Amino acid sequence: MDEMPQSNELFLFLASTAHDMKNSISVLSGTLEGLLAGASPEVDATYPQMAHMLYQTRRLNDNLMQLLALYKQVGKPGYPFDIEQLEVAHLVEQVVGLERMLLQSRSIALELDYDPHLIWHLDEDLIVGVVSHAINNAVHYTRDKVRLAVAEVDGYLEIRVEDNGDGFPQAMLDAGAAAMSGVANGVNFLTSSAGLGLYFSSEVAKMHRHRARQGSLRLENGGACGGGCFVLRLP
Amino acid sequence: MNAAAMPVPTAATIDQVDWPSKNYLVVDDFVGVRQLLRESLRSLGARNIDQASSGGEAMGLLGRIRYDVVLCDFNLGEGKNGQQVLEEARIRNLLLPSSVFLMVSAEKSVESVMGAAEHQPDAYLIKPITEGVLLSRLNRVWHKKQVFRMIDQACAEKDYLRAARLCDEAIAGSRVHEIELLRMKARLFEKAGEPTKAREAYERVLEQREYQWARAGLAKIRMANGEFEQARQLFQGVIAENRYYIDAYDQLALAYQGMGQFEEACAVLERAARLSPNSVPRQRNLGQANLKLGNVAMAEKAFRKCMAIGAWSIRKTPDAYFGLARVCGLKNDPKEALQLLQAAVREFGAEHADIHLRAKITEGLVYHESGDYRRARKAGDELEEMLRLRPDRPDVATCMEMATLLFAVGVKDSPVELLCYVIRNNHDNPLLLDEVQKIFEKARMADEGAELIRSSKKEASDLMNQGVLLWKTGKLSEAVTWMRNARLAVPNNQRILFNAAQVMISHMQQLGYDEALAAEAHQVLLHVDRLLPGQQRFAQLMEQLAALKPGAEEVAGEAGPESKQEPEPASDA
Repeated sequence: MDEMPQSNELFLFLASTAHDMKNSISVLSGTLEGLLAGASPEVDATYPQMAHMLYQTRRLNDNLMQLLALYKQVGKPGYPFDIEQLEVAHLVEQVVGLERMLLQSRSIALELDYDPHLIWHLDEDLIVGVVSHAINNAVHYTRDKVRLAVAEVDGYLEIRVEDNGDGFPQAMLDAGAAAMSGVANGVNFLTSSAGLGLYFSSEVAKMHRHRARQGSLRLENGGACGGGCFVLRLP
Repeated sequence: MNAAAMPVPTAATIDQVDWPSKNYLVVDDFVGVRQLLRESLRSLGARNIDQASSGGEAMGLLGRIRYDVVLCDFNLGEGKNGQQVLEEARIRNLLLPSSVFLMVSAEKSVESVMGAAEHQPDAYLIKPITEGVLLSRLNRVWHKKQVFRMIDQACAEKDYLRAARLCDEAIAGSRVHEIELLRMKARLFEKAGEPTKAREAYERVLEQREYQWARAGLAKIRMANGEFEQARQLFQGVIAENRYYIDAYDQLALAYQGMGQFEEACAVLERAARLSPNSVPRQRNLGQANLKLGNVAMAEKAFRKCMAIGAWSIRKTPDAYFGLARVCGLKNDPKEALQLLQAAVREFGAEHADIHLRAKITEGLVYHESGDYRRARKAGDELEEMLRLRPDRPDVATCMEMATLLFAVGVKDSPVELLCYVIRNNHDNPLLLDEVQKIFEKARMADEGAELIRSSKKEASDLMNQGVLLWKTGKLSEAVTWMRNARLAVPNNQRILFNAAQVMISHMQQLGYDEALAAEAHQVLLHVDRLLPGQQRFAQLMEQLAALKPGAEEVAGEAGPESKQEPEPASDA
């Protein structure tokens, strides 16, 4: 029938396995956060390794979330999607709550720039997932700073994740453009390592529609910090 | 550059909640996650943290301790799932109105977008859950609860019109909850029998954004108005946009039923049950729809599934047992049917007063359908005896079913008595009167039945008109007494019940508040609301009654003048 992309048994099996894997990742990342909170980079020689483990754990989590979303056909009407009214402050709070320890452990400063009273209609779970993924990604590219800026621009909510590294390589910028324009001409988009995340993020952006407009994703270099910029725009 | 200088968003720090002193319950079948959540709570300062590893264990704790915060995983392995824990806790009133229930899941869950309005958690959290996320969500839920506190209270008191006014006040002060408040307001007006005002609230939402639940709300109002085809189109539009909006399927099925398209209704329920198989009411509806169409195998599957998931759910009902017993009868297996009926009596006897009666009716139907007319007649005689021993009568559907069966097995007096009872208590419901007439016709009693309907109708309207006459001539106390006696004669007639409450309210408006009379009016109104929820007169009378209470705030705004209004002249003459 039209409801499930594949057989129901496979779906149930995947769902329960994913549930289990998520539990493991939760415990891993929670334990590491706890260890890092109690440790200090000056005293504990293993601090950098623990920080790296947390980073890798978050990458695992992102990949799992994105694979599941892909399996459930993110972007199609069959994907669970619901918008609600949300204060931008709460959105930022969620992302910071997820990312604080990771950034702190890597000595990366987080700069925030947003209007706390701005209210938007969006799918909180998905957008928090996309933005925190973008920050995890920025950890890889930045020197020591990540900036999260949220503002209303031309009637869109513009969420920018910027870093002060050397900027995204050309292949990454191309993959970003390919993800937005669709799979058809995505020469090196699904084959690049960033492909899954970009595909997921662009599908989430496009699911946000209002009147004739829809959300979009853009990668560029420059911005306020001079490095890579991940720009999500929601109508 | 140092991480210690990390900025903290301001929203969480508006006004601090005393989280350390709260009672917490953590429910997860995975010990690692329980420990992790407990550690997170401890770092928020929490001291009282209980844990449960299964839904059953959680219910045990919830039954003994009032928790302020429950963190419950949706997926709990064998036994109850998180949703069933929530439903049971809410239905058994194990949670305080101020309690926070957070549902935890591994991924974005279908349940969070299904639009089943009843029994939603305060928030869904997706793993991994960090301390920061936990604190932020707890604070947000807390502040939202403050905004909704007075509204929820008025709603719990069934004073829907006051609750709707409070929504307007809250919208003025809290723009961030505007959409949720409008949704609440629309629902309240639906419950208050004010579809036009509900529609206005939904339309205000849609001016801002295309929210599917608001679209579905408009469709429901269309359907209530008998515009089934328009409702069908709207519901299908909602489903096309969001395939997991399960509520729209259930409603679409109703629209098809309204148009007499039972095959289509059944197919829609099938699709909904495939998307969300673990709902007791949906599987029951699916079973009944299939039974009605004669799809015995499909009905059996749905009823069996309904019983299996019902094992863990507080929402289980005997209907699946009765339905499956009918299926067994149709499959010529009366032996299993009887076992099911016994199981239903055993399992539901305590909380369902009419269970013996309903089991006996189904037994008669099973024998009748499998051609064992002797045993069917015996069941009919036993039913007659059961009726003789009790003064009251079951609900309308059961009465109708019983009368049909009794006629079919050759009993005559008691079905006539049952049908007259139904008419006296529903004398102004033409659809039901038609159904009664059809039952008489099937029993080859068309003329006799028509005469019985006429005289029973007159009996009820005479009772009512005399009360109205007393009231109109200013004999308020006599009117109250008359309506009290009328209620004894016809205990479930909605118009008589409404008039009785109206006369009592009128009495107090003119002669002063009386606690006993107010309590009696309240009880009468709650009774009529149980018979048929969502009536306009119920909401209006509840509001007038609440306003009479000494110290109650003056009924303000649009509903004001109505509180001085006269009772609806209820005469049928």
